[in-house]
Amino acid sequence: MAILEVQGLKKSFDHLEVLKGIDFSLEKGEVMSLIGVSGSGKTTLLRCLNFLERPTAGKIVVDGDVIFDADDPLTQKESEIRRKRLHFGMVFQSFNLFPQYTALGNVCLAKELLARENPEFKGHKKQMLDRIREEGVEILTSVGLQDKLDYYPHQLSGGQQQRVAIARALMLEPSILCFDEPTSALDPELTGEVLKVINALAQRDATMVIVTHEMKFAHEVSDKVLFMDQGVIVEQGTPQQVFEHPTQQRTKQFLERYNE
Amino acid sequence: MTSVSEVVTSLNGGILMNLRLFFMTLIFALPLGLVIMFGSRTRFLPLRWLTRTFVWIIRGTPLMLQLFVVLYAPGLLFDMPMSNRFLAAEIAFIINYATYFSEIYRGGIDSIPKGQHEAGEVLGMTKPQIFFRVILMQVIKRITPAMGNELITLTKDTALSRVIGITEIIMCAERFTKKGLIWPLFSTGLYFLAMNGILTIILGRLEKKLDYFKV
Repeated sequence: MAILEVQGLKKSFDHLEVLKGIDFSLEKGEVMSLIGVSGSGKTTLLRCLNFLERPTAGKIVVDGDVIFDADDPLTQKESEIRRKRLHFGMVFQSFNLFPQYTALGNVCLAKELLARENPEFKGHKKQMLDRIREEGVEILTSVGLQDKLDYYPHQLSGGQQQRVAIARALMLEPSILCFDEPTSALDPELTGEVLKVINALAQRDATMVIVTHEMKFAHEVSDKVLFMDQGVIVEQGTPQQVFEHPTQQRTKQFLERYNE
Repeated sequence: MTSVSEVVTSLNGGILMNLRLFFMTLIFALPLGLVIMFGSRTRFLPLRWLTRTFVWIIRGTPLMLQLFVVLYAPGLLFDMPMSNRFLAAEIAFIINYATYFSEIYRGGIDSIPKGQHEAGEVLGMTKPQIFFRVILMQVIKRITPAMGNELITLTKDTALSRVIGITEIIMCAERFTKKGLIWPLFSTGLYFLAMNGILTIILGRLEKKLDYFKV
């Protein structure tokens, strides 16, 4: 069964319809890339999955559980959304690290706050917080930042900051990890280290949705590619199908511009 | 003949009034400013409109006039004369400064990028958690210089309270001027310089303390 199913998703801002009915599904362990020109709706789609935007129509199903249905107000309760959005992790284009926390602090903060809601927290405060710190160190080590634990974001390079942001998202063990143009804010020489981390996650069968302009990377890392234009999915398939044998005129035009 | 020690005793008594007004304003206006700020940012439009009109009136009229209004209006309008002049001065100062603080807070909060809120949200944090754990510290860092300016202005504004008969330091000094002695009046400046010297050092330390991160 698909881990993520999106059905008839639409989103309008005032009178501007940005998503005009999006359908796709994603299997566990799959990596899906979203490609297309700026303004085609890729980022909005990702933001809808993370409840940063509320879709105007459609359904989002995670692991067989309808977590959002535009026609069912019960699925849109504020208190529920907080729990449901933890199915998804989000890595932003501009990192959005918390500047007053160290790398380790950024990674651990949300989990520490969640632990406080655990009824056992009172009696086992020390052990629980220590355990979270250990996990944080492990995850930062896995993205190659074991010697930057106590650095503040402004002391890190863009690539290192983005790796901290990835670690921060991983810490909550999301079922699906979303990346919104993770390398677009980086100097070209720093994109490699971030792509390498994402690649390593793909090797370990993480389920990911990646909005990207790095076509070569999308080709290598993805199991599935979605080409979007003007709020609709124009073409979807394996990287071979979409990149090497596109059937739609718009896809061909888009890819030609990248190959120039 | 007026002795130096007589002058110093009088001025010391006067500056205590200024200090009292300064600290009372600080203690009450800092949190009241937060309340006004929430009012001016609320999505409930009538309350927002009301709060912003209030801020406009308080910031748009002289503090000196507000001192008179607080002192006389209760008696004239409601037949409940304000008997305590110091209380009247406190109320006027607290309200006046709270509106300025509220605008500084508002500017500070609005200047924090939306991405900070969103990063907290996608990590499952609640709105209060995002405000207190993520946003607040950044706001404090951003507004420290502006707040420092306000506090320095406040130390000197306390002298305005003399218009409703508070025996603050300048009023004390003027009593000597009337007897033909001018230096006590000029020397009040030293008291204000000392106060603001200390304040500047404290604010400088605070800024330095917040230097460990950048916003």
